[in-house]
Formats: sequence, structure tokens, C-alpha cells
Amino acid sequence: MIASALVVVPLVAAALCAVPWVSRAARVIAIVASLAVAALAAWSFVAGGSAGVRAAWAGVLGARYAVDLDGLAAVFVALAGILFATGAAASGRVGHRRAYFALWCALLAAVDGVFIARDLALFFVFWEAMLVPLAVLMWEWGGADRRGATLRFLLYTMGGSAFLLVGIVSLAVARGTLDIDALAARPIPASAQLLPAMLFLAAFAVKLPLFPLHAWLPRAYVAAPIPVALVLSGIVAKTAVYGILRISLALFPQGMSTAAPLLVALAAVGTLYGALLAMRQDDLRRLIAFSSLSHLNLIGLALFAATLVSLRGAIVESVSHGLVVAALFLLAAMLARRTSSYALSRAGGLAATAPVLAGLSTLAVVAAVGVPGTSGFAGELLALAGAYERYPAAAAAATLVVIVAAVYGLGFIRRAYHGPPLATGADLGWRERALVVPLLALVVAVGVAPRVVTDRVSDDALPAVEVTR
Amino acid sequence: MTAGDLVAALPFILLAGGACLVLLGDLLVHADGRAWVALGAAAALATAVTAAVIGTGDDAFAGSLRRDGASVFFAIVVGGSTAAALLLATGYVTRTSLPAAEVTALTLFSASGAVLMSSAGDLLVVFVGLELLSLPLYALTGLPRAARHADESALKYFLLGAAASAVFAYGIALVYAATGSVAIGALAAVASPVGLAGIALLLAGLAFKAALVPFHFWAPDAYVSAPTPATAFMAVVAKLGAFAALLRFGSAVTAPSAAGLDWRASVAVLAAMTLVLGNLAALGQSSLKRLLAYSSIAHAGYIAIAAAAGVVASSAIAFYLAVYAALTLGAFGVITLLANDDPRVDDLHGLARRRPLLVVLLGVLLLGLTGLPPTAGFLAKVYVFEAAIGAQLAWLVLLGVLTSVVSAAYYLRVLFACLAEGEGEPAAAPTVAGGVVMLAALAVIVVGIVPGPLLDAVQTVRF
Repeated sequence: MIASALVVVPLVAAALCAVPWVSRAARVIAIVASLAVAALAAWSFVAGGSAGVRAAWAGVLGARYAVDLDGLAAVFVALAGILFATGAAASGRVGHRRAYFALWCALLAAVDGVFIARDLALFFVFWEAMLVPLAVLMWEWGGADRRGATLRFLLYTMGGSAFLLVGIVSLAVARGTLDIDALAARPIPASAQLLPAMLFLAAFAVKLPLFPLHAWLPRAYVAAPIPVALVLSGIVAKTAVYGILRISLALFPQGMSTAAPLLVALAAVGTLYGALLAMRQDDLRRLIAFSSLSHLNLIGLALFAATLVSLRGAIVESVSHGLVVAALFLLAAMLARRTSSYALSRAGGLAATAPVLAGLSTLAVVAAVGVPGTSGFAGELLALAGAYERYPAAAAAATLVVIVAAVYGLGFIRRAYHGPPLATGADLGWRERALVVPLLALVVAVGVAPRVVTDRVSDDALPAVEVTR
Repeated sequence: MTAGDLVAALPFILLAGGACLVLLGDLLVHADGRAWVALGAAAALATAVTAAVIGTGDDAFAGSLRRDGASVFFAIVVGGSTAAALLLATGYVTRTSLPAAEVTALTLFSASGAVLMSSAGDLLVVFVGLELLSLPLYALTGLPRAARHADESALKYFLLGAAASAVFAYGIALVYAATGSVAIGALAAVASPVGLAGIALLLAGLAFKAALVPFHFWAPDAYVSAPTPATAFMAVVAKLGAFAALLRFGSAVTAPSAAGLDWRASVAVLAAMTLVLGNLAALGQSSLKRLLAYSSIAHAGYIAIAAAAGVVASSAIAFYLAVYAALTLGAFGVITLLANDDPRVDDLHGLARRRPLLVVLLGVLLLGLTGLPPTAGFLAKVYVFEAAIGAQLAWLVLLGVLTSVVSAAYYLRVLFACLAEGEGEPAAAPTVAGGVVMLAALAVIVVGIVPGPLLDAVQTVRF
């Protein structure tokens, strides 16, 4: 029941936001709904999961309504709730509030649905349902390049989804059911796994995005309004992580294993490529975009390596990246409000007049780089150490990212906050602090005790490959 | 003629009788045009209800009129779609001062032809149904005299349609020459080259009505110049009739026989061409009606995917046609609500500000046409694709999903045009047509979320 509520609550909130006379409170409704989702997920996480729901839906097509919220899903749903609440709170001055917050809540419902679905058709329904709210939010409320960026994002993701649909349809015909647990219980012959694994991966690799399918990412991150970029990077990309974890690796372990050397290599290249490009950016949003690309490919590396340690690392790194990138986007917006531009060359020396902004930015960057004591360290260490067990060369190469990340991260801090005072601006107000401080507090908390995140995820839920030496 | 014959013919009699009643009534009584349209809609609705009530039974007229699950289902969908199309016309005929009684009578006659085609057990009955379906459509296309090119496209449509009818009739003759029978069941016995050529001509004639590429050239022009409610009717009911007949032939031909494989391969090739050309051509359209015309060509391609899978896919096709009927009627219904009868996509600018509810409904319908969840359009596509994968047509499915992505580009272009800033066309006041659009959008969402009843209903569709 809790699982279904995670979709129903945001949908009701979306309907409420669209009603004319309550639209004044639309932002509050969106925040409350998101926090309710986070609270439900956290409660279920602590209580140790809930009973799943299975009901008839489209039986002739092999599809059922099957949802469940186990520890793994709860981690991601809780992250979604936190990020959506933060994003809604940061959407202070949007126009057409009714439509904006209704779409916002609808997007949350779809994201939740992806995490709780236990039937492939239902998963696909929610997976595609994310697209329209995201596209309209980008198209209507985005920046200068919004039209082209939205279309490119749509065509990339729908192209990926087309292959996913073929994979799902052929599974339905071959197996007669689309229930993920039922499919996992009766494995597909090892020799027949590669094709469906690749069909499914096409959608996930675009959404992640795995190098070299990332061409939509920088444009979308720059064109989208900051709250939308925040959830796009923070949690929508994580639906791909979750899909690989829950579906690809669980249903097609041998197929994924066959392709793993290539995928791991691509992910390692993407990790370094993103970080190297981030070094050269002047636009802060593009810097965050390429830094995200680097982190997301690192998560991909950990997933494709598929050892027990690397999978736990991928989960921790997903949570960490979600929180850190959210904080970075918010801080970038706050910086831009003071310098009237996202260009780093237009900022400088702000630490003198805005020490709290500078301090929080430094903390966020330190977490992004992966300094011990922050969540980024725990995630990257587990991910890389786990991947090293199976693919030492790729993992070792990807480890170099820590150095590059330090260069672009600290470069950002130096150019924006130190050096000659090119810009001045007031320090953060209490509203702005209230947005960022909770996120960074969670970053430190996860950094100190990363076990909390993965303890409730049992080893059985992780489709790890046995490493033989 | 026995009582059983009469019962079997009842849906046809109701539609044709309703048409005659409207024509006679218009001669004798002076009434508001809307009254005739309402009477016609009532007759169409009565047809749907009657078909549902009398249900299946023995074949009538010595096997020339079938009363199986398919004929019942198609009579219900044809009746419902006709009623919806006529309701779309209520406000439209008074606004455009079209002759209401004539529009209604022509629509009902055409619908009776579709019912005849879908319940035919005999090639000659199919031919009569085909002509009865087509002739009123030619007239409807030429009806808005004021519109540019209406005469031209009506004549073009008529000439091409007459040629297609001739081809179809020649096909019947060849099949008769080969087998000595005009029963549809006799198609299974065809083995000679003459008979196979006849079957090919039959397929070409039906592909013309269903607007499958390369027999589609009449469709965009006819769709644009016909009055919009008639366009909606044409796009839905002509396809219903054509695909019902196509499936009847297919079920006879794909029984283990020489022609089975050729038939399926031919339909598969037609489907592939239709998918590619319909979707690509829709990309470049600036007229909304023309865009929807190509979209309906493309949808014929998706239905043909399942038709290529053979008779096992009957249920999938029936489901797709029912969903397609709601989507198409709704989408053309939105156009009847705009002041301009042939709006360009750019004329929609600013619609979201002025009529937000209408744009939400249009958005649902466009998502359904794209095949995105949670609409019924998604399930319809999945159903069709599953049928095709089951028949080893994976290449066609891959083509289908990729062209769906292409289709998203032009459907979303329409949606984004509504969201753009601008004045654009003023919208007409909401009328009965608004109710039809809302009903269509609601049906598409409800069936998408609770597909059980419709899925159960289409299981009874057997040829």
C-alpha cells in the first residue's frame, strides 16, 4: 500500500495544484507532497520494506500492476522526495504557477513509479511518463536554448526507449509474463541474454547518459531552469542506475557480463572525458553538467563491473551525487543572482562579501571531488575498489578522475570566490541557507556513516557477479 | 428471407433506414439543421446498441451475411464512431451553413456500407458495402463549395476511388474464374495464378480504402477539403470497413494454403511502406488537418503490422481500431472547435492561455496518437507489437517503434505550438463537440489505466 501511495500522493498534489483557487499554495503543496514521499520512503526503509501489491491490469498483454518498495527502491525514492522538495522550494519566482507545480508533482509521481514498479510494462509506463512533464517544464520555463535542447533530449531518450519497448515486447511474447520477480526466478538461457540485455541497456545508457550517448546532456542542463536541471541530474539520471541494477543485471546477468569489458571501458573513458571537459568550462552550469557526466559514468563503471562492493558503491555514489549536484546547482543559481551571469570569468573575490556562500560552495565541491568525510569519498572509494576486483586497468584509469576533479573543483572555487574582486554581492539570506544546508548536512552524514544507506539493501537484492581469482 | 436474416441485417437496416428517414423528413418538415444531425446520431447510437444486444448467431442470407464476434464488434464501433462524428457536426453545420440533412444522410449511408463490409461473407456483399461506403464520401468531400480545391479533391478522390473499385471488381471476377464461387471462404482454395492475381487485386482495392502506401494519394487532399466532422468520420469508419474486410480475406487466405505466405508478406511490405512514408510525410506538414491525415495513414501502417501477423492478431487489431477511433475523432474534434476550418499548426499559438482545458485534452489525444503511456494508445501499440513478434515479424516491430519516435516529433510540435506565445486563431464557443472531445480523451485515459473490459471484449473478435 505504501508503494502505491508514493505515486498517488504526488498525483493528488498535481491535481490540487491545477485547481485555480488553491494555486496560490501550489509551491507549498508541491513541497509537502515531496516531503511526504521522502517520509514514507524513509519510514518504509527503517521498518524494513513493505508488502508488495499485485493486481490485474492488462493480463492479455502479460502485464500486471505490480509494485513494491524494498530497501533498494526506498533509498532512491527518499532521494527523489528530498530533491523534489528542494527543487520546489527553489522555484520561487516561476510564471504560470499552476501548470508548473502540477507538472512538477506529475514528474515526481512518474519518478516514484519507476522505482516501485515490479512489472516491466508498468516500469515502461512510468519511464515514458517522466518524459512529457520534463519536456514541457524545459520547453516552457527554460533558458535561451530551450527549444533545441528539449527536442534533442526528447529524441535521444525516446530513441532509447524504442529499443527498450522492443525488448519488453519480445520478453512478453517469449515468457508470457512481465513480472520482474517471476522473470528473475526463471532465468533466460545464458546464450540468449545478450540481445535483450542490449535492447534494455539502450534506454538506460541514453538516460544515464553513458559515454558516447551524452550529446543531449550539456544542452539540456544549461537550457533547463535550475530546479529542473537539479532533478534531471539528481534523480532522473538515477532511474537509469536503478534500471540497470534492478532489471538489466538481475534478468540478464550473463548478457551484461559478456558486454561488460566494452561497457566498463566506455564508462572509464566517459569518467575521464567528462572531468577533462569540466576543466575547460567557463559557464558554471556546463561545468556542473560535465562534472555530472563524469560522476554518472563512474556509477556506470561500478554497475557494469557488478561486484558486491562496486554495486554498493554505485548506490552510495548515486545518493551522494544526487545531493551534491543539487547543492551545486542551487549554489550556482545563487552565485549567478549576485553576478548576473553564470560565467566564471565574471565572478571573482566574492568570498570577501559572501563568506557563507563561499564556504558552502567549498564544502559542496570538496564532496564532489571525493574528499574523506564526505559522501563522495565513500561512494567513489567503494565503486572504484569494487570495480578494481574485476577490471583493474579500467578502474585504475578511472581513479585518475580524482585528480582532475580536484583541478576543476578547486579551480571553480578559486575563480569565483578568491582572487581580484570582480563582483560583489550580499551573503546568503536565511531562505537560501535553508535550501542548501540540509543537503550538505546529509552529504556529511552519509560521508560519516555510508553504511546507513546500504545496510537495508540485502546482498540478495544486489545482482552481483561472483569474482573468481 | 427469414426472421433470422432480418435480425442479422438489423444494424445495416437501422443506419440505411435512418438515412432515408432524414432525407424524407427534410423534404416534408422544416426543422433546424441540428435536429437532423441529432436524429442521425440517435440512429447510429441505436445501431451500436442493437448490435450489442442481438449479439452473435447463425449466418444469414445463405452465408452472405455473417453474425460472428467480428461483425458485432465492428457494428458497435462503427455505430459509436458515426454517432460521435455526427455530434461533432452539430455546431459545425450551423456555423458553416452546410446542408445538415444531406451531411447526416450521407454519413449514415456511408456507415451502413462499413457495417455491410465488416459482416460480409461473400465478395459481392463486400463490393456493395465498399461502394455504399465510398460514394457518399466522394459527395461529402465536395460538399463545402466555398472551400478552395474542394471540387478538385472530390473529383480526384472519385476518379481514384472508381479505379480502385474497378480493380476490386476485376479481382472478384478473377477469383470467381479460378474457384467458381464468390464466397470469401473460397479464397482458401485458390491455387492458380489467375486466382492469385485476383487476390492481389482485392488487396489493392482494400488498401486504397484503408489508405495504405502506395494507395494513399487521395487521402491528404480529401481529408483537408471535406468538412472536418466528415474528415473524422472518413478517417475512422472507412478504415474500420476496409480492415474488417481485409481481415476476413486474410482469415480465409492464411488458412494453410498456397496464398497464405504471399498474402502476409504483401501486407507486411505495405505496412512497412506505410509506416515510413506516413510518418516522414507528416513531419513536413504545416496544415493541421493534413498533418492528421498523414498521421492516420501512419496508423493504418501500425494496424497493418498486426494484419501481417495473420488472423491470430484479430483481437489486437480490433483493440487498436477502437482506440484509434477515439483518438482520431477526438483530434479532429478539436479542429471543429477552432474558428478556422483548415488551421495551420502555427495558428494554435497561444491556445494554452485562452483554452487551457482544450489543450490538456488535445495533449492527452496527441500522447495517445504517439503511443505514450498512460494512454490507451500505448497499450494498443504494445498489443500490435506483441502479435507481430509472435509471428516472427521482429523487423516490422523495430520499424514500428522507430517510426513512433519520428511521430513523436510531429505530434509534440502541435502540442508545443499550443504552448507558444501568440494570438493565433480564436476558438469557437464550446458546444456538444467539446463534450465529444472530452469523452474521447477521457476514454483514452481510462482504457489506458483500466484496459480489462475492452481487452476482454476484443477477445470475442473472431473471423
